[in-house]
Amino acid sequence: MGDEEHKKGGFFRAVKEFVYGVAAHDSARFALKSRASMEHLFILITMGDMLGVPILPPYYSLRLLPYVVPQISTWKRRMLREKDLTDALA
Amino acid sequence: MVLISLTTIFEQYPDRRYIMFGGKGGLGKTTFSAATAYYLAKKGKRVLVFSVDPQASLSDIFKRDIFGKGPTEIMPNLYAQEIDADRRIKEYQQEIRQKILDMYGMDKIPEEIESYIQAAAAEPAMEESAIFDEVVDIVVKGGYDYYIYDLVPLGHALYYLSMASVYDEWIDKITNLRQQMREYDQVAAVMKRDKELDEDAILNELLYIKDRINKSSGILTDKDKTAFFFVITAEQMVITDTVKAAELFAKFDVPLSGYVVNRVLSEALKQQEIPEYLKNRLVMQDKYLKVIDETFKNQILAYVPEMERDVTGLEMIEKLAINMFGSV
Repeated sequence: MGDEEHKKGGFFRAVKEFVYGVAAHDSARFALKSRASMEHLFILITMGDMLGVPILPPYYSLRLLPYVVPQISTWKRRMLREKDLTDALA
Repeated sequence: MVLISLTTIFEQYPDRRYIMFGGKGGLGKTTFSAATAYYLAKKGKRVLVFSVDPQASLSDIFKRDIFGKGPTEIMPNLYAQEIDADRRIKEYQQEIRQKILDMYGMDKIPEEIESYIQAAAAEPAMEESAIFDEVVDIVVKGGYDYYIYDLVPLGHALYYLSMASVYDEWIDKITNLRQQMREYDQVAAVMKRDKELDEDAILNELLYIKDRINKSSGILTDKDKTAFFFVITAEQMVITDTVKAAELFAKFDVPLSGYVVNRVLSEALKQQEIPEYLKNRLVMQDKYLKVIDETFKNQILAYVPEMERDVTGLEMIEKLAINMFGSV
């Protein structure tokens, strides 16, 4: 019984994922990409003094520091690297 | 000279519980703060006088070492406090470190992060911000009828105020950005049919910061609860600078209650045998007292005489308070 239900669930999930893939995956990907750019913008604004651009007063930017620890290294790389043509394609 | 006006302000506006003396450095802001605290305490009000100046001198005035010791009772109803900005910054740094360690289960702060924490604390604005933040704590905590701010010299005070409004705008912008980010998160989550989003801890943190800054600048600019006095002396530079500062303060909506003239040499000196130097000072004083009268007119609340010695210790503070308020 349980096995059959599992199969049924699996089938529905597959359909659900297929529909999602056809209809919404691209939009969701776009949303996430925009979200990622904003994340970088956000860290630049709050943690800008790491690059020598103090924007938010440091006393308060320290409060936000714990939340962005994982993003810090990728963000610095992204902000400091040179841009080239392939950026437009990405 | 008549000294009723300063008393009148306190009697007419009992809701003005945040008292500030501003002015150029060395004109007597701290002594006036102390004397006002003394006057109000004698009237039976519970008063806290605290210094927002990193180079505070309340300890000298009360002849008690109160630096970094929290509110200290000087006499019944009168408490004084000097904020130890350095210690607050150190504790704050440690708090941040601990939070990072707890959040990610690390046993050591990554080098890059640690160097940022160190660098941020070395910023010149850090000390001001730390004091600013502690003032919010003091005022929010309550427990006193009156709070007397022993302010920093003019330039700093203006920086302080402008900082508040700039902070506020910035935080608004950042908060908006954060909210927008959250909308994108929601879009993606809905499309993927993910379950509920976690609460955005950063957004909450930003809202907290905004609330702190609003509270602080709200007090400085609250017409009903704040009385701001300028301390001036009969000198050209002081008058010119104060006029400029008053304009700037008005721009930041600081409710100005009036001016107190300090260090007025006694007219009686003229009748005495006095050296040329003092004669010249008296002539100069007459000239600039006239300028002061013409410039600030009926906003002048008191003329306080030059004291025979520096104001330290309760005895001298009482003397000064009598000169400011007429009686205590």
